[in-house]
Amino acid sequence: MFLDLDKKDADKMAVIDNAGHKITYNQLIDLSLEIGEKTNSRSVVFCLCKNEAGSLAGYIGFIENDTIPLTLSSNIDKGLLSALSETYTPKYYWLPEECCSMVSGKIIFSSLGYVLLETNNEVYPVNNSLQLLMTTSGSTGSPKLVRYKKGNLEANAKNVAIAFGWSDKERAICDLGMNYTMGLNVINTHLYAGATVLLTTYNLMSSNFWDYIKQEKGTNFTGVPFSYDILARLHFENMDLPELYTLAEGGGKLTDKRFIELSDYAIKSGKRFIPTFGTTETSARLSMLPAELASQKTGSIGFAIPEGELFLIDDEGNVIDKTVAEGEMCYRGPNVTMGYAICKEDLLKGDEWNGEFHTGDLARRDEDGCYYITGRKSRFLKLLSYRVGLDQSERMISEHFNIECACTGTDQRMDIYITDRDIKNDVLAFISKKTGLYKNLFKVIILDKIPRNDSGKISYKELG
Amino acid sequence: MNLEKYNTCFKEIFGDDARLDEDFKFGVAQGWDSMAHMELIALLEDTFDIMFETEDILHYGSYENGKTIIKKYGVEI
Repeated sequence: MFLDLDKKDADKMAVIDNAGHKITYNQLIDLSLEIGEKTNSRSVVFCLCKNEAGSLAGYIGFIENDTIPLTLSSNIDKGLLSALSETYTPKYYWLPEECCSMVSGKIIFSSLGYVLLETNNEVYPVNNSLQLLMTTSGSTGSPKLVRYKKGNLEANAKNVAIAFGWSDKERAICDLGMNYTMGLNVINTHLYAGATVLLTTYNLMSSNFWDYIKQEKGTNFTGVPFSYDILARLHFENMDLPELYTLAEGGGKLTDKRFIELSDYAIKSGKRFIPTFGTTETSARLSMLPAELASQKTGSIGFAIPEGELFLIDDEGNVIDKTVAEGEMCYRGPNVTMGYAICKEDLLKGDEWNGEFHTGDLARRDEDGCYYITGRKSRFLKLLSYRVGLDQSERMISEHFNIECACTGTDQRMDIYITDRDIKNDVLAFISKKTGLYKNLFKVIILDKIPRNDSGKISYKELG
Repeated sequence: MNLEKYNTCFKEIFGDDARLDEDFKFGVAQGWDSMAHMELIALLEDTFDIMFETEDILHYGSYENGKTIIKKYGVEI
């Protein structure tokens, strides 16, 4: 069975959520199979996920039944959901009861506060190896998906669990969405280890969250850089959390200051701080820095996980042999997915990457072989760990307002250049709504004209 | 005077159109997410020259309740 769930301690708690569900491994298997078998194998099901037992049981049931889930957030923008539905014509939706009105279909089953809707869409052929679909860019409105092949999730669950040394004693706090690659990875690794997953929909900035993790005795926490900004703001270092032993980080680069704070905190309080690096295209985590090195290797993402290999290539695409070097970071391993899809015909495609992925991130390798992310080759930002495509943002704004527009920026803020002063606030409101991100993460700058080179392409060098 | 400053902080974060009443709550009001909450807390701290305790950041909750919390730091609204 998926993740060898049937080989765990049947009576042990697998999943607890803050909606009040407490589900053992045995119950999880039964609930999952019951959901999965209501669907036709090899058809596509959109899962609108919340961090609750129902989302998790559905996902496992579909995988086990060989149905192909696309995991999305239950807070998804309605426009984006319709666009994805038109593009990938799912046979089913699995979603929280309260989200039923977002889509149309016939209710054929319900369980754990979730319903299974069947649509009138035809089932279409997909590749035999295809197991799961995930979005690449969080929320920028792109229909681009990553195609996972059978084996990706389990290989990554196993190797990340080994790298962290997870045992069945862990009680993992999971507040990252399961439609986000690292959130799903936290779940998979702990189920693989036979541990308990503490799902939560509570906000880190609410007392409910902290009451919940104290009550449920969470032993490890996984956060993105913004999570740790919040923790710092809450004077987390003064909280009494004796059960919490491991603080893992991923989804973007911490500032050196924060990295050092966390490393110092871990040493002082006898806990572990473990930075990692991952991408959706590699089924989440591909590297981690062992806790004992955190104090010496500020900003590092460490080494490849077991069964994986990290390497650097130069501008010509040649592998760089020197130990101390900088180049585009590439990864080879069993968790590398098959490729992208932009339309449903693409779901028939086979493995285009053959186990090797070029991340588009530039990295430095030190004398001990530790990797450090230094920049990015391709045009996207990570705002609050959401990958936001600059070209997509430009296109959305240009099309919506029928104007010229150029987007640049850093992971702290996107700069949007336009020429029409009158719509400055409208552009800000629009991009904030489309990405679902706070407006202060964007700045709209007015220019007389958008600089272009001889061939008519936007000249980004002349901007900021 | 202090109420005006207090309201200005909210308008700075949530925009001039924000309807500041008893229904203006964290997680409910348009735009009041974690990011906005962090910025609001920082702005209130700067404006009134105070430093919130963890529990008060977690329990801030709403525009109205915030007035009660901020009183604890000697700011009458």
